[in-house]
Amino acid sequence: MPDAVPQNAGFMVAAYITTAVILVGYAVTLYRRTLKP
Amino acid sequence: MRLLRAGRWITVLGFVLLAGVYLRALAFTPVERSQGLAQKIFYLHVPAAIWAETAMVLVGLASVFYLFLKDPRLDRFAEASAEVGTVFAAIVLTTGPIWGKPIWGTWWSWDARLTFTLFLFLLYAGYLLLRGAVADPGARRRYAAVLGICGMCLVPFIHFSVYLFRTLHPMPIVLKPSAPSLPGSMLATWLFSLSVFTLLYVAFVMQRYALGLLREPAAGSEGLHA
Repeated sequence: MPDAVPQNAGFMVAAYITTAVILVGYAVTLYRRTLKP
Repeated sequence: MRLLRAGRWITVLGFVLLAGVYLRALAFTPVERSQGLAQKIFYLHVPAAIWAETAMVLVGLASVFYLFLKDPRLDRFAEASAEVGTVFAAIVLTTGPIWGKPIWGTWWSWDARLTFTLFLFLLYAGYLLLRGAVADPGARRRYAAVLGICGMCLVPFIHFSVYLFRTLHPMPIVLKPSAPSLPGSMLATWLFSLSVFTLLYVAFVMQRYALGLLREPAAGSEGLHA
């Protein structure tokens, strides 16, 4: 009988959200800084 | 503002493709049996780590050439690459502990790979702080170039730390002399993610380079309309 797969989906979701927030956040700051005169 | 506009469009394309990476990684890539879904963090963590390190190597190379050629474009590129590298290093330092907690049972361990990576992030932060602290442009560029070269010298230690020291961090499974130890579908997802992170690095650097030009009125429209 195969071992059960660890149930740790929450960590994966947290990492994917964190990455998206960092990348989108940086893109937004770049956009806003280039708008300033 | 051609460079800036192109950078923005490539960023948009990069985010659309990043959504594709998420979809492929989450829905169309098999789950690794021993680590479970947390293994899928690998598809973001490793490409971010590769670009966090590569960005510092490019900062160092641009700095070496700047010290010889005194071309402000090299300094501007180094500044842009350092800022984008900081962003990728931040991703590495957040996704790594999120993976470590379920797999190692701890968020952080002071082993060589993790400590060197934290040191890389602090070097990036120091580099950017130094640039903001020195008012004289000539001195700022020289000091930053020296620190950038020091940062570049750190990168081989990060990459080879798993061979040089006893460390908790897994050994390379893709970037190693022998063939990658990943099944084809996982390797394809990883390569797709690496391509998207490469595109995002290029797009961010283009925008940050253009921002550097905008902040230097004396530089006029050099490069922006090129």
